[in-house]
Amino acid sequence: MARVNNWQLGREMAYWYPENRPQKQFAAVFDINKCIACQTCTLACKTTWTSGKGQEYMLWNNVESKPYGFYPLAWDLKLLQMLGGSDWVKGAYPGQTIFESAPAGKRALGWRPEERDYAYPNVGEDDCAGQIQNGAGLQVPHLTWFFYLARICNHCTYPSCLASCPRGSIYKRQEDGIVLVDQGRCHGYQECVQACPYKKVFYNPLTGTSEKCIACFPKMEKGLQPQCFVNCIGKIRMAGYINTPDKANPDNPIDYLVHIKKVARPLFPQFGLEPNVYYIPPIHAPDSFLHQMFGPGAKETIATYRNAPNDPDLAALMCLFGCSEKVMPRWKRTGDVVSGLEEDGAEIVRVPVREHIHIRQAFDEKYQIARVNCP
Amino acid sequence: MRSIFNNGKTLTPTLSLTRQGRGKQIRSLLPRCLGEKVRMRRIVLVVAMGALAGCQKAPPPPVTEVVLTAAASLPAEPGDAAWQTAPEYAAKLLLQDMVEPRLLQPSTSEVRVRALHNGKEVAFRLEWADATPNDTPGPAKFSDGCAVQVPAHAGPSLPAPQMGEPGKPVEITFWTANWQAIVNGRPDEINALYPHAAIDGYPFKAAALEKDSPTQKEMAVRYAPARALGNNRGGPRTVPVEDYLAEGPGTISPNKAGASKGTGRRTPTGWAVVITRPLPESRQVAFAVWDGAHEEVGARKMRTGWIPMRQP
Repeated sequence: MARVNNWQLGREMAYWYPENRPQKQFAAVFDINKCIACQTCTLACKTTWTSGKGQEYMLWNNVESKPYGFYPLAWDLKLLQMLGGSDWVKGAYPGQTIFESAPAGKRALGWRPEERDYAYPNVGEDDCAGQIQNGAGLQVPHLTWFFYLARICNHCTYPSCLASCPRGSIYKRQEDGIVLVDQGRCHGYQECVQACPYKKVFYNPLTGTSEKCIACFPKMEKGLQPQCFVNCIGKIRMAGYINTPDKANPDNPIDYLVHIKKVARPLFPQFGLEPNVYYIPPIHAPDSFLHQMFGPGAKETIATYRNAPNDPDLAALMCLFGCSEKVMPRWKRTGDVVSGLEEDGAEIVRVPVREHIHIRQAFDEKYQIARVNCP
Repeated sequence: MRSIFNNGKTLTPTLSLTRQGRGKQIRSLLPRCLGEKVRMRRIVLVVAMGALAGCQKAPPPPVTEVVLTAAASLPAEPGDAAWQTAPEYAAKLLLQDMVEPRLLQPSTSEVRVRALHNGKEVAFRLEWADATPNDTPGPAKFSDGCAVQVPAHAGPSLPAPQMGEPGKPVEITFWTANWQAIVNGRPDEINALYPHAAIDGYPFKAAALEKDSPTQKEMAVRYAPARALGNNRGGPRTVPVEDYLAEGPGTISPNKAGASKGTGRRTPTGWAVVITRPLPESRQVAFAVWDGAHEEVGARKMRTGWIPMRQP
């Protein structure tokens, strides 16, 4: 194993291949607080990519309720139990990653989902973390809570699927960091299915190969955001490219959210893959749960997020989510207006930070008639 | 799954003895002057006594190599009586524990091999014990299988027995029970794997598309990217085997020149598989067996080293 730098862990770690970061790294920010679990993203992906034979059960994109929803069943709990845990020490994780705890004969720690684990997507849908007691009132964080976790492939900097493939059939593209399974080379050994901690590689029994989210690379190549992003009803998602923290560019919206404001956090960074989908954690869930899921910064992240009304730049950037099909590599705020920009500064979209309010009078003075609200 | 005993061909007692386990194989190697019905413990004692006393007839020498026996025509079925003419070599299987992902717990202990040739082609008959047939693909499900490997070129320096090495390729013919089930007629539909699966529809089966028209077929392939790239790991096929070239672990690639055939049948105790391929230049061969119930796939397999082949 090689030694590589994982900035999310704040330390070097062991990985099967030497560090080889792509020229650009696909990344995304998902605002969990806006997700209503309508599954429009799931269907957008399903109809675009996984309508084939053998793909019936596959959800490259899925939305599950936490804490009791999963796809596949208990994907996170099973691995957390196998991996054990550790406290974070001054922002660094001294515990074992899935690579460092690989059992003999394997390249990563993992488990194999069986058919029944895929049989009930989000079995705990909308189940709360407890019962509503008499006299309980609404407060934040909620006494009983759940939230929706939308998931795609994390296109990790250190993909476990890639490390585990004995045939080298999985590759990470130099041009954008998207991780793909070469369908011409894959022999369907399912090592990647076992090794991916997020369980985002799926075995297709009728092609005999494993398949996964491709970050809609044909769209990304044209500067367009993936299907699950542009079809999102709640406008919770933004796709782009991320730099390492030492090269963070405040003009890059993903860098600004992840590195500058630290308002978005990786999913289970302790697994060690440096995943590239970043989440704005839900404001109403307990700190301890969010700490486990998003790392030690989750609490500060929520404070920053809740302060957005007093933070003109952050508030402005949040307004760009879901406002264009185009990838917005740059952004800027001008007063009460925020713009998504091309790399060269050309404007893609302009959005007001606050919606203008127009009050429509019940009586129309010009026509001397009362307005009604139905046709 | 059709049993080899359903094809109307009967095997002679000699072959059926060797099919039923190692204990009875030992019996077939015993001097013929001994009664067949003597119990095993007594046999061991009698053998020892016979050896001391000097038996009149020497036991046949143990088969120490794969003997390429000449035959006018090569049988396609593992139950064919022609296999009786070929001596059986019992190849001990080793763990593949050299490269990740390694197999750490042994499973199948031996594969019994017979070989017939007609001067151009060679047919290998592999038989091994496997209590659980695994021929259905799915998540965390793996298919039983076997493979025959020969050096791509004859020469004094053999390639590494584990899939060859750079500059020293090997030719591999691979059979799986999954492909055999497809050849035997399992439909290319999800309901063949999950009878109760409910399918709303597939875009390539839309009513507007004429069934089996070029447009419809092209569209269907587009929804199966591996098939579109010619990597048929799970789709319709006419032979249950594939030919590969390899120059080391993880380097298997299709051998487009290969045209191997094969047939596998379930036996009462495991599998019997015939793999027919061109007679190789080299006189070395290696075998591998995968037990799907033991999660064996790819590199996690039981395998042999090089075994000499002799052409009498």
